[in-house]
Amino acid sequence: MLKKFARTLLFFLSYFAINAQDLDSLLNLNAFTEESDLQKILNKNVAVSTQKLATRETPSIISIITAEEIRNSGARDITDILRMVPGFDVLQDLQFVMGIGLRGSWANEGKVLVMMDGQPFNELLYQSVAIGNRFPVDAIERIEIIRGPGSAVYGGSAEYGVINIITKATESLNGVVVYGTAGFHADAVGRTNGGVMAASKGEKFSWDFSLFKGKGIVSDQKYQDLFQASDVQDLSKTTHSDPMNINLGLRCKGLSIRTMYDQFETSDPSSNVSFENYYLDVQYKLKLSQKIKLTPRLQYMRQVPWRYDYPDTPGPDFDVKAVRTLGQLDGEIDVNRKININVGALYFKDQSTDRLTDEAMLTLNNFAVYAQALFKHRLANATIGFRFEKNNRYNGAFVPRLALTKKIENLHFKILYSKSFRSPSLQNIQLDTTGAKPEKSNVFEFELGYQFTPKMLLAVNTFYISTNDIIIYGSKGEGDTFKEWYESSSKSGSQGVEVVYSIRKKKWYGQLTYSYSQAIKDNSVGNYVVSQTRKQYAGMLAHKVTLNTNFYLTPKFSVNPTFILGGKRYAFTEIDVDDKPVSTELDPYVLCNVFFNYNDLLPGLTLGAGVYDLFNERPGIPQAYNGGEGAYAPIPGRSREYVVKLSYQINFKK
Amino acid sequence: MNQIKIIVIAWICMLSVSVTAQTTNYQVYALLVVNIARHSAWPGSTTGDMEITVLGKSKVYDELLKQNGKSVNGHTLKVKQVESITDIGQPNILYIADGKSGLIEKILEATEGKPVMVIGEREGLFKKGAGFSFVVLENNTLRYDINNTELEKRQIKLSKNLSSLANLTI
Repeated sequence: MLKKFARTLLFFLSYFAINAQDLDSLLNLNAFTEESDLQKILNKNVAVSTQKLATRETPSIISIITAEEIRNSGARDITDILRMVPGFDVLQDLQFVMGIGLRGSWANEGKVLVMMDGQPFNELLYQSVAIGNRFPVDAIERIEIIRGPGSAVYGGSAEYGVINIITKATESLNGVVVYGTAGFHADAVGRTNGGVMAASKGEKFSWDFSLFKGKGIVSDQKYQDLFQASDVQDLSKTTHSDPMNINLGLRCKGLSIRTMYDQFETSDPSSNVSFENYYLDVQYKLKLSQKIKLTPRLQYMRQVPWRYDYPDTPGPDFDVKAVRTLGQLDGEIDVNRKININVGALYFKDQSTDRLTDEAMLTLNNFAVYAQALFKHRLANATIGFRFEKNNRYNGAFVPRLALTKKIENLHFKILYSKSFRSPSLQNIQLDTTGAKPEKSNVFEFELGYQFTPKMLLAVNTFYISTNDIIIYGSKGEGDTFKEWYESSSKSGSQGVEVVYSIRKKKWYGQLTYSYSQAIKDNSVGNYVVSQTRKQYAGMLAHKVTLNTNFYLTPKFSVNPTFILGGKRYAFTEIDVDDKPVSTELDPYVLCNVFFNYNDLLPGLTLGAGVYDLFNERPGIPQAYNGGEGAYAPIPGRSREYVVKLSYQINFKK
Repeated sequence: MNQIKIIVIAWICMLSVSVTAQTTNYQVYALLVVNIARHSAWPGSTTGDMEITVLGKSKVYDELLKQNGKSVNGHTLKVKQVESITDIGQPNILYIADGKSGLIEKILEATEGKPVMVIGEREGLFKKGAGFSFVVLENNTLRYDINNTELEKRQIKLSKNLSSLANLTI
């Protein structure tokens, strides 16, 4: 009996010993089937969401644009990229400075936060972001876009959306890249941009450096101002759009330092406008335990935004400096595998100084606290969060956020509710006429997505945005009689639907999008209203379809046609007998672009060439509101532009 | 706008090919079930079949069925699927599909004192009395949690290796 037991035991032990190796090898098996190229993009954690969730479960409506897509499409500037994103459009503010329209609303001031390598590009005076021939598109690794509110996480500049630009130098580059872009119209040079970036990545120490500089024009067309006060102008000779960006980052263990200088100079036929930003950002990631991480942060920003000069008059006409000093403590607690909490507090001081008179203008002392908890449950991921922000000039803004998201096999859903806000900025308060208070929005979003195959995803979302106490800009007169002000209007907003259909195969990929937006019925902002319809605001698209396709004809050579179909718009293009702007209908347009790209023509050398606006449709860029006495006619769209791109990369040895 | 509609519909029709998407890899679940069987010992089970019964609808059944008839530790693997607790019988392994997880108490009652290893597809079921339950970790790898107390009650023994590779044990 004992013998039999011993034999059984020996067999049992030896069997397990033989199979132990097999069992070990089972430990790294993935619970999911192999990722396709599309899923690799979708499953990557999205930095902009601050939560460790993949795109399909992130509690926001997300668009991701990769370096591959930017390179293959031959995007000339950030405008080309944003136009391909559902709900986004480019409109004119003042003086030919272009800004973002989002989901049918003008979103230039404090409504879309734009960051590059973690640094906010919204200027501190008005919270606007000038776009156009700006941002080094060829140096971008990835753009993460929240097509919805981000205030609970990012504060008072992210009421409608967030754009997070991550450059290659900070993310993937371990070497040196030199790149350049040239664009040629029939009778003018559209742009000549170039840059260099270098980066070294080590476990303990990393550094990156980028320099980008460019020269361009706003348009190559003829322009007649709305009031016909000047002669017709040739914009290829009377405008410029010149960017410059210097970006340096260092990381040593948990300490990271980033400093950046950005300058953007542009112009309309009668004035020069410049934006100058300097940043210094120091962060230290402190790991207190396996579960708790703390990140203290200090940030300094010095800006001279919207500095403008009419050459006819001596010296600059507006020259105001804005400075922000910020201290922040951010904490991340992984309570367990299912619960993650993010908490933080920050204090920042904004100051403005008129450099023409050397007088201090305004000081705002702000503080904010925020918290966000993510609960992962088998039925849904629940996110609950809030932010409270207050300063010495207005009552506090409390914005809660609730979200339920889940990916169930091929299906995913997102049910999102956020309150969001725009905090009155330095000039919003300086020029206020109705009592500065934070503008607040209620935003409801719902997304449903279905992955037909590993290479194919359809996502449909709806949104409803209702904004109260909306801060509105007004101006009248010009030159010495020019006056501008801000006032709060009771309500504005929009509602609509967005559809994204993505497919990514080995030899080709494509993305088809459709976006529709409609103004809410009880809008109270008179400047946004056009006489032809109550369903669209001035300058805004109601319908937009985009199609981006890329075909790899060989593993190295690709052709990338893109199409943008914009529906009818209504904009202020004429004046009546009383010199008041009158809106007219702008025709729908089809922007067709084709770009050819050859990777590794020689090792590290990439060459691209293509045509933008192949059909020469030249859609104008209208002002996003009725500018009254200071109204601008639409900027005439650029004509067909032939684009050449070249880049050369040398990788450091690992 | 009609042109736009036509383009949208044509595009979707052109590309709507039905292929399995990246989803849960039930092959891996089945592989682990078979290996759990391979590294476990049931009282008095020197002869006979190794019965695995799947309670409820799960794609794991389809994957396990591919192993049907194969030999595990000298026992022939027999895989079947049932919909009701009354049809469970006394298998070596009872695999509870996610949709039947709510019946865990009744299942435990029905198999009390019997050498039936209960494996739950749903995460956390081991805390409610299943011998094993699966868990997907942060890096998407599939692991299992073990309820040793429950297995001991049923006189089911596990190899040390099997136990040591568990995510959690109670």
